[in-house]
Amino acid sequence: MKKYWASVQKEIVLFLNDKVGVLLMYMMPILLVFIITIVQNSAFQLVSENRLDLLVVNKDTGAQGDSLISMLKMSGSFSVEEANNLQINQLKSETIDRKKLIAIWIPPHFTAEMDAQAGQMSNNMLSEFGAVEKDSTLIQPNHTPLQVFYDPVLQENFRLTLMSSLSTLLEGLQNKNRLNRLFKDMGYDEIPAEIQQSMQNSRQLIVSEPATSGEASPIPNSTQHNVPAWSIFAMFFMVISLGGNLVKERLTGSFVRLRTIPGSFPLVLLSKMTVYLFISLSQLMILFALGKFVFPFLGLPELNFPQNVLALIVISVLSALAAISYAILIGTFAKTQEQSNGFGAISIIIFAAIGGIWVPSFIMPEYLQFIGLLSPLHWCIEGFYILFLKGGSWSALSGTIIYLLLFTFACQLLTVMKMRSQNYL
Amino acid sequence: MEVAIHITDLVKRYKNADKNSLDHIDLAVHQGEKFGIFGPNGAGKTTLISVLCGILEPTSGKVSYHFDSRDLAIRELLPHVGFVPQDFAFYPELTPMQNLKYFGALYGISSTVLAARIDRLLEQVGLNHVKDKKVGTFSGGMKRRINLAIGLINQPKLLFLDEPTVGVDVQSKVAIVSLLEEINRDGTTIIYTSHHLKEAEDFCDRIALIDEGKIIAIDTLDQLLQANQVSNLEDLLIRLTGKHLRD
Repeated sequence: MKKYWASVQKEIVLFLNDKVGVLLMYMMPILLVFIITIVQNSAFQLVSENRLDLLVVNKDTGAQGDSLISMLKMSGSFSVEEANNLQINQLKSETIDRKKLIAIWIPPHFTAEMDAQAGQMSNNMLSEFGAVEKDSTLIQPNHTPLQVFYDPVLQENFRLTLMSSLSTLLEGLQNKNRLNRLFKDMGYDEIPAEIQQSMQNSRQLIVSEPATSGEASPIPNSTQHNVPAWSIFAMFFMVISLGGNLVKERLTGSFVRLRTIPGSFPLVLLSKMTVYLFISLSQLMILFALGKFVFPFLGLPELNFPQNVLALIVISVLSALAAISYAILIGTFAKTQEQSNGFGAISIIIFAAIGGIWVPSFIMPEYLQFIGLLSPLHWCIEGFYILFLKGGSWSALSGTIIYLLLFTFACQLLTVMKMRSQNYL
Repeated sequence: MEVAIHITDLVKRYKNADKNSLDHIDLAVHQGEKFGIFGPNGAGKTTLISVLCGILEPTSGKVSYHFDSRDLAIRELLPHVGFVPQDFAFYPELTPMQNLKYFGALYGISSTVLAARIDRLLEQVGLNHVKDKKVGTFSGGMKRRINLAIGLINQPKLLFLDEPTVGVDVQSKVAIVSLLEEINRDGTTIIYTSHHLKEAEDFCDRIALIDEGKIIAIDTLDQLLQANQVSNLEDLLIRLTGKHLRD
């Protein structure tokens, strides 16, 4: 035990002396979690909290253009600036110059076009019921489009969200116009009040709720996603510190001396694992504490801890052991520190990319999702998502636990085999 | 004198090498002896020491160890073996005190004994005044001395030294050699390689000359000089190994 503690003490001193390693292990994840959470939270607010600046040029001579603008303003999703004096050929450059993410061109015959569509539909319906004759003299719609210009830096998912909001508003406007026309054609001045009331009341409600296995329903937000995801990424980045440290010891001759001290080598590996396990878990604790206690002060969502605390500890320890074993494996096989750092860092970035740390796995092509299953980071994040977002039942965690155990075992086995071949063990 | 190490027909060939690094070596080192191994670069000196202290497995042949009237396997002997490699084998981020404590603890030496031993060793190698400074900041000579002190932390019965004085100033060299004389007087068997031929002349009881993995001469220095009719070790080496440059 004394030998083990001496070895642990030595590892602690070596780690503290490696200033870059300390920064990488503690400062990098804190910065990553803060920055990514703030960015993603802002992106979330951008589409959800009336933050999107919209430029509108309304050339419509009728009333529907104004109605659409009112609906855009009332939707709560846009901050609308009208610039009706602009021409369509100026709108692209004006969008950028006025720092707008999106601009809408409402064409001159927008109302006439909608009225034509409504008139045709009403006539079709009433003639189908035999109430009127089919009227072939009705004005045919031209299908003149509403034009939307967007800043090219706007990400595809935001653009699609905006287009979807706009389509919904347009559809509402068109439906109202069609009904008005239908009732008018049936001899009413306007839609009767009780029908308007019943249309309002019969709107289908949508209730959305996270699908979790536990009783508690944590609200998915940028903190619940980012704190575990980037903690895992940082944890695996220990390959730079631990892997490099292992290569350095081997190259400087300390390992040669250790080979002449019986039983010292397994002890050295064990003490390295102990120290880095502590470092990894302390990393997680710091990041979780920041998410819980500091994020709310910065206007970011608070991190909600899972109810299954034991499972959280198990997944944290297994993730840390997987990261440590991988770092030791790289440090054992690398011939130089440059090899260990370069290969280690790149492999972690690839593992993170295919493992769903940066973007969710489900949006990747099927073959990449399959390859992603090989990434230890995928299983770690899966485990943390089950805990932080899906209730964290043991049965749901079983796949993660089995994979992480197998991965750790495989890395350790390869390390032992390599060290035996080098006569260290 | 009793034989401490007996080497019989020892061969070491590295993987993918086209020739033996150690080529059928037979050798006996006696207990309490200061035994020097000399030869040009690439002769096999470091390989021989690495095999003798168990770092490398021999390809064939036998090495047997005998101490305190007992035959021992290298694993049994290792706790009593000191090894001072040619490379600096310590942690430059640690102080001499921390390095010595760490390696001493790995040998299982009790804290009180270890503390006394560290004090004595630091005094002997002249590093007491810098015991709490990081070794990485030391000069080459100071690093050689801490490298040696770590090799002595377990008070070895058998000490292997691979070029312990390479690249150090005269003062450090004198300090190292005099410390080695002292521990040899206390009964430690020393096996020593060096390029400093003057050191060998002054220090070693017997020497073996090795070239291309073979032992080409072995005896006391006086006997070797007399037999080859030369006046010093340098001339002896040139006579026996030739003047051609080695890789």
